Amino acid sequence: MSASLPSDADRYAQPPALPLVEATLSLVQDMVRGKLKKSNMTWDQFRTAGADALITQDDMRAVEARILATGHRFAWSAGISVSERPEAYVRADDAGGLDAGFAHPNAPSGPVQADGRALRGVGDNVVRQQQDLAGTARYIRTRQQVMSYLSNGVPPGTIAVIDDSGGTLTAPLIEHFAGVICAGGTVRSHLGILTREYNIPCLMNAKLAGVKEGDPVLIETTAPAKTTEDYQQGIERVARIWLLNAAQGSSHG
Amino acid sequence: MDERDLVLHGLAIKRHATAAAVADAIGLTEGAVSASLARAVAANRAMEVDGAYVIAPLAGLALEARYGLHFGALREDAGFCRAYAAFERINRTLKNVITDWQTMDVRGTRVANPHTDKEYDASIIDRLATIHEQIEPVLAQLAQRLQRLGIYARKLQAALDAAEDGEPEWVSDIRRDSYHTVWFELHEELLRIMGRIREE
Repeated sequence: MSASLPSDADRYAQPPALPLVEATLSLVQDMVRGKLKKSNMTWDQFRTAGADALITQDDMRAVEARILATGHRFAWSAGISVSERPEAYVRADDAGGLDAGFAHPNAPSGPVQADGRALRGVGDNVVRQQQDLAGTARYIRTRQQVMSYLSNGVPPGTIAVIDDSGGTLTAPLIEHFAGVICAGGTVRSHLGILTREYNIPCLMNAKLAGVKEGDPVLIETTAPAKTTEDYQQGIERVARIWLLNAAQGSSHG
Repeated sequence: MDERDLVLHGLAIKRHATAAAVADAIGLTEGAVSASLARAVAANRAMEVDGAYVIAPLAGLALEARYGLHFGALREDAGFCRAYAAFERINRTLKNVITDWQTMDVRGTRVANPHTDKEYDASIIDRLATIHEQIEPVLAQLAQRLQRLGIYARKLQAALDAAEDGEPEWVSDIRRDSYHTVWFELHEELLRIMGRIREE
């Protein structure tokens, strides 16, 4: 049984009014329960003798990191907060800052070709399709983005670029995507199963660099699908990802 | 777990669902779940679009932080942990079977299964039935320690029965409680109980 805090037994406590306060309180209580258990102290011993030494700045930083990982950004009252810690606060121009895109170190890259396309990555094709798929690359990496697309709709022609091979984040949206590029997993991952079920072209295990939010891209979904045997035998069988209308001389390094 | 957390937990597992679907997943009445979800929306814990709900990011995080409190005893229960480990082993086979249901080899190329080869489809449903035989005792062990989990066994059995009775949509269709849909939700439930992250 995990150690419990005196407040755990309070059956009449109402949840805090604000979601941020509730998240912070629940995370801190969970952390303190863990520390209390590890200390082998009673609650009275822990709070009078142990807590100050056992709970560190790093523990509180970890709480903050989990809050920021949801996509939440703190509201600021002094502009210096944003300039010193842009990653933690709502930006002054409210622009987000996730539009730089993935930069996989092993992504293949090629020069701009005569038709304006340039190789920017590869992935494992989930199902071989009749045609390649052109669309607009849109990164989806936070629940807040997912909720915004749920309420405002996914723009037509969206090729979602994601790193969540379980589909945990994007499952409610999948049927609205024209295509999916996933930076993790294999064709047998849950996301592969979901996209096959909706018949949405999908590349898994993608290595991608030099594609920004909103770039026009083409995914080579006519490539042979990667099979279980390919994975077992280590056979390279990939579909390519092209940036379209690439400017001459802007080859990605 | 109190009703508020149980409803948020059900919503987190369903991810994007109506009050009726959440109620069905956690075994509460639709009226109770509707009222609880309305309170969650009013308090910025959930969002509603066209009658379907999503848990808000910070509310999801707060819920996860309370799983240790709700499920701490199960995480240290040897029988529950053994059953969970067995589920993870069988899960690998299930994913292969679903992949083989969705795709097939035609002249050496892996293509989408058009479901025109009845013999091929029947062979896959047979494999699904074998998986079900393996998972049944595991589900019984899980439900013995957390009774609510018995809902999954009933739904999986119903989906398998329908698939075997000539309705193949019940294997993996996403828009219904197909075998794969229920299996995926059960997996999500178990990952949350155990405090694990889905690998893929």
